[in-house]
Amino acid sequence: MAGTNGTGAQAGDEIPPGKRMNMEQHMLDKGAQMLQSLKPIKQMSQHACTFALYSHDTTRQIETHHYITRLNQDFLQCAVYDTDDCTGHLIGVEYIVSDRIFETLLPDEQKLWHSHAYEVKSGLWANPRVPEMVARPELENIAKTYGKFWCTWQTDRGDKLPMGPPALMMSPQGVGIGIVDPVLVQKRDEKYNISSDALKTARVEIAEPEWLNPQADYWKQHKDKGFCIDVETTEMKTRAPFP
Amino acid sequence: MEGVNVSTHPEIPGEPTQTGTALLEKATAAFQGFGPVNKIHQHLCAFHFYGHDMTRQVEAHHFCGHLNDEFRQCLIYDSPDDDGRLIGLEYIVSEELFLTLPDDEKKFWHSHEFEVKSGVLFVPGVPGPVQRQDLEKVAKTYGKVIHFWQVDKGDKLPLGIPQVMMALTRDGQLYENLAQDVEKRYNISFEKERENRAYIKGPAHGIHPMANAAGKGLQTVLREVDCKHEKSTRVFV
Repeated sequence: MAGTNGTGAQAGDEIPPGKRMNMEQHMLDKGAQMLQSLKPIKQMSQHACTFALYSHDTTRQIETHHYITRLNQDFLQCAVYDTDDCTGHLIGVEYIVSDRIFETLLPDEQKLWHSHAYEVKSGLWANPRVPEMVARPELENIAKTYGKFWCTWQTDRGDKLPMGPPALMMSPQGVGIGIVDPVLVQKRDEKYNISSDALKTARVEIAEPEWLNPQADYWKQHKDKGFCIDVETTEMKTRAPFP
Repeated sequence: MEGVNVSTHPEIPGEPTQTGTALLEKATAAFQGFGPVNKIHQHLCAFHFYGHDMTRQVEAHHFCGHLNDEFRQCLIYDSPDDDGRLIGLEYIVSEELFLTLPDDEKKFWHSHEFEVKSGVLFVPGVPGPVQRQDLEKVAKTYGKVIHFWQVDKGDKLPLGIPQVMMALTRDGQLYENLAQDVEKRYNISFEKERENRAYIKGPAHGIHPMANAAGKGLQTVLREVDCKHEKSTRVFV
């Protein structure tokens, strides 16, 4: 099924289907929240909005909302949602590493990762509601990083529930099959009252990485090849009967 | 590599976060809303094992939010602390929603009845009677878990491809040392809690035979494919 290149569910869509929560469940949730510290969640320190393309079909493109935790100067982990409001579907996870870490990975691992320089320089990567000046130092960091993004819920094709194996995602690029649909960008820009073009101009000074590893953005140097995940049935190695 | 089956928390390579970066993130967070993340309101602790290898078991800290009464989405960390690694995610659906899934999809989903009734799945810090109110619902649900980071084999970074995970379905599967480690840390007894939960019921229609991979192993493999790009070829070639 073709992607609608939308941002996932709009109000009124029933993704996922299901009964509304009753007061009892709300109380249980509130109670748990008060008693539990939820520490890893509180470490999320940044919301970035950008775009991603399915590695196996780059014509399917989505707007993404990354909620980012930094574990050290060279490593970030992101919970990725399809919108930034409380109805957002958790659609996947992205890991971000510095170029320094990326160069230590084996080539077979590197081919699963994408570069971030173009996303930052072109203004596609935005931190909604954060003044550009404040975001600037972090953008300079991100421009030199690589990301690995697995999407587990393809709400763009209307999946009401998470279906199938995870899908590898790629980043938008300035050439070929990596070009992101301008309509998708315009929609995002209007929502946040920003201009990706203006951001692009403002970011001219951000240094391009001196070298982008050609194993990243695999399709660029490998005849538009992408990757997908298959699931095979095997025997399970057990220590007791299953199930 | 074999899993070590102790709680691991590999050191991630990299420099400590620079003070400037940390301050910047505090400032950034101050401007932003974090909508979907604010819906996360519950911490559940349980264990997962690999879809193809029950002997590799991972302690999993779930941080869950409801999208509606029949659907939860959870981030999975290897620890409940500030530096927890985000190792995977889980979707939890009601029995009714599970039954709407195509048969080929059902294999990815595992039952929760045994995890709940055995006392092993628990809600840290929440009093027994309160957590049991919620676990009565969880026992009837199915979950789909994907891990991206194999901390059990000591991976310092998230390497390789995603793994479909399964969960406990009977006695004898969980490693004693993993169980005892958690019981000690949280000062709880799975055995005692099992008695408290004896009354809890699983799915109304029984555990579906296609769930839990129908008792088989599931293994993910990577395949190279041509990116579909009709649109682009028309425009750019």
